[in-house]
Amino acid sequence: MSHPPDHGVSRRSFLKGSAVVGIASTGITAATKAAAGPPVPESFGPGEHEITLLVNGKNKLVKVETRTTLLDALRDRMDLTGAKKICDRGACGGCTVLVDGSPTNSCLMLAMDAVGTELRTVEGLSNGDDAHPLLENFVKCDALQCGFCTPGMVMSSIACLEKRGKPSPDEMRQDLSGNLCRCGTYGRVMEAIGRTANGGNK
Amino acid sequence: MHPDPSTNDAKSAGLPRATEITVGYKALSPSQKDRLQKIEVNPEEGDAPPWDALTKYKTVGTDVDRIDGMPKATGRAKYAYDMNFPDMQQAMILRGSIARGVLKGLNLDEAKAMPGITAVVALKEVGNKIRFVGDAVAAVSGKTLDLVRDAIEKIRAEYDADVHNVDFLMDEQAPLLDSKGNVDEEWDEDKKVDAALAAAAHTHTGTYRTEVQTHSSLEPHGNVCKWDGNNLEIWASTQATFGVRGELARALGARNIKVESVDVHAEFVGGGFGSKFSAGIEGLACALLAHESKLPVKLMLDRFEEHTTAGNRPSSLMQVRGAVDKDGKITAWDWRSFGGCGYNGRGGSVRYPNYYMSDAATRRKHKDIATDADPARSMRAPGYPQGWFGAEMFLDELAAKAGMDPLAFRLRNDAEAMRLDQWQFAADKFGWDKARNHKNERGARYVTGVGCASARWGQLGRHGGRRQRYGMTCRIHPDGTVETRSGAQDIGTGLKTVIQMLTAEELGVPASRVRAMCGHTADPIGPASGGSTTTASIAPAVRHAAFLAKGKLIDLVAAHLGVPVKDVTCGNDKVGTAKASLSWTDACKLVGPNPLEVHGERYPNYPDKPFHRGVCGAQFAEVRVDTWTGEVKVTRMFGIQDCGLVIAKKLAESQVLGAMIQGVSYAVHEQRIMDQRSGRMLNGDFLRYKISGIKDLPELECHMHSVANGHNNTGAAGLGEPPSTATAAAIGNAVFHAIGAPVRHLPITPEKVLAAIASK
Repeated sequence: MSHPPDHGVSRRSFLKGSAVVGIASTGITAATKAAAGPPVPESFGPGEHEITLLVNGKNKLVKVETRTTLLDALRDRMDLTGAKKICDRGACGGCTVLVDGSPTNSCLMLAMDAVGTELRTVEGLSNGDDAHPLLENFVKCDALQCGFCTPGMVMSSIACLEKRGKPSPDEMRQDLSGNLCRCGTYGRVMEAIGRTANGGNK
Repeated sequence: MHPDPSTNDAKSAGLPRATEITVGYKALSPSQKDRLQKIEVNPEEGDAPPWDALTKYKTVGTDVDRIDGMPKATGRAKYAYDMNFPDMQQAMILRGSIARGVLKGLNLDEAKAMPGITAVVALKEVGNKIRFVGDAVAAVSGKTLDLVRDAIEKIRAEYDADVHNVDFLMDEQAPLLDSKGNVDEEWDEDKKVDAALAAAAHTHTGTYRTEVQTHSSLEPHGNVCKWDGNNLEIWASTQATFGVRGELARALGARNIKVESVDVHAEFVGGGFGSKFSAGIEGLACALLAHESKLPVKLMLDRFEEHTTAGNRPSSLMQVRGAVDKDGKITAWDWRSFGGCGYNGRGGSVRYPNYYMSDAATRRKHKDIATDADPARSMRAPGYPQGWFGAEMFLDELAAKAGMDPLAFRLRNDAEAMRLDQWQFAADKFGWDKARNHKNERGARYVTGVGCASARWGQLGRHGGRRQRYGMTCRIHPDGTVETRSGAQDIGTGLKTVIQMLTAEELGVPASRVRAMCGHTADPIGPASGGSTTTASIAPAVRHAAFLAKGKLIDLVAAHLGVPVKDVTCGNDKVGTAKASLSWTDACKLVGPNPLEVHGERYPNYPDKPFHRGVCGAQFAEVRVDTWTGEVKVTRMFGIQDCGLVIAKKLAESQVLGAMIQGVSYAVHEQRIMDQRSGRMLNGDFLRYKISGIKDLPELECHMHSVANGHNNTGAAGLGEPPSTATAAAIGNAVFHAIGAPVRHLPITPEKVLAAIASK
């Protein structure tokens, strides 16, 4: 929405203003990490330009503006709508994706800054009927109701499992503390993580 | 009769319908008794015969996985927000920046000329009132949201601001409060109440307050609209597919836009909690932008708009005075309450648990007070959590004056027989006696306490009306799969799974054979998801559809086997008689190349008196309070909840546990904070408007209490709302027990806890 005029500098106009700084550091990352991608131009914008993102093991060309967030790039430009836009301010975890293995709020990351990183989204956890055991345990434990927070919960849970193997309840709470659920599925999400860590048993 | 559901004789439709069934429930624990009784019910001609308390279910009541769990977990489920089409435009709304006044000027020209913009529409005309900060003024669509935002900033809107007020307690209709926050006004005379108060052994007066809570559904309100000539197809985040259809057809017609049909999809909905009945101004704006641009348009609200323009649970102020006789029986109950509403001054009504004071002299007064803010909308048990907090806390304070244990006090006064069993069962499970008698060490920093509160709701489902009853389509496919469809929506409650399980039960097949579809208005009409009526309203139609389909399949099988129709039954994945039968899949091959299709309907509830009208429950909570910082941590809760027939047990439990977590959030975290000067919400995001996270999760347990009410062929009742009535009240009472002083104002924040401790 448009905030009333007394709101001051909006986040977007701030992003517009600071884009050049962001790109400079991206350039270094891209040059060192993604040799296969297209060369990163020295300056961008206004308007769109093409970048390559490595998503779920595949390189994808996508047109973005410098101010486009990774979340918008995934959802609007690549039709990867698993990650959800809920708060758009890094407060709810609904847009969580893994960037080089780290759970990240994709609404707070510019698509440009993701060039050269390895991105994993919830779509990468299943292929047709073949799904990661965590997803099966989410269903088994009924760790979802409306399901809107679920992809974010799943990605934070995956990161928790990959980092800790067999996380304790406190470790689960720590790793999922950035994910909000309004239906109240938290307890059953913890059950699903526990079950996955124990190879499908409680 | 005690029918096995899978072997009901589908051909009994022409027989007299008066039938005796068994209603009630089996003992909750070995120390309790079965509460079963026989009643006569009179189903309408053609309806499926009733299930009852003695029915042996194969699927109903078991833990079937949520049918749409995998699409949700994999991220494949497409919510309205996730719909993408070629050339789809993004859109947003310009919101008024004053709380009260008039739109003085509106110039859209510059915005229209911005790059990438495909449509700009005015939602108000110059001279129209602005009624709250966030009132919709204009809407813009364009290629990307960033470009739309650039254009929105170019709209010139000017306002004539009037004096506003966003605090209902500042309104001249609000009662005066003393320095401690108590209502400081005389009570009007009431002979009965005054006499009861005068004759009482103990009396008490208390003032209670609750703050505005926003629904905070995670999927915001919004739509994707796509026109094809005069037909509008819309993907809506809604809890009322048919409501949106009618509302948009009317609103567009009123704007002289020809619309032949509105087709609404809501196959997946990211929560609603009572805020998503209407297409709203965002729905109309989206349809108008799509019409003007001749392109598909997506318009979803952002989080600030969700908090400030999409409804809320209004605030309340309640004052109660009451009395008990020497036996602890409530003899007087005098209640006056005020609802803090939005600009329309509606929706603030507060209810209280009236089963505690059925023999008392009672009076109830309520007044809604308008403010220049976003109007209230129904929110999960509208008026209940507020009133239950006030009333159940008052009960504990009154019990303390009478020297009674709060549970004993409730057992003495609760007029609902079913809940008396629930209180005792839940108290044992929770360990009430031990926890209540636990003494905190004198001077200890951390103190614990326990409290309880009741739950109540009154829904046994609706049939849709005389003209158009709710319907259901059931198809048996030649490949042995079954498909049951309703146009009503599943907002996360599990309706699709309920439809699947009921179909499977009636047909005597495993649930895995059945697909259930919901949320598209091309399918039969169903209710809005409000008042906890969806399952209760839909379930009998599912059964009826499956019952009719079963009858048709039995005809085919009887002819094929050359046996009398009346001998053929469906069950155990087979169709036939004791001597000759076909496997389910072989039987289905008889339907021919096209699926066998029937339409079931929702008959009215039986005219006979059910076992129990509505549903009840009880909850217990334990808290730990840090007396140095005032922090309240809810450590443990137990809830028991009835919802008539429990169909999908695991999913029902999820709803109860979820209601308890939401209640924790309401009790200790949630509060809309308004800036009186600007009229604007100060915490309209998820950073400063806190909802419970995983670290706030108590140890939670619930017990589903399945009750046969005998009110229709299935006997399902409401579930979404009832468990949310009790939680904040139980927590409030636990805090009172822990610190020895009541905190009578939600949310129970550290500063209020410290103030209560200091006031002792």
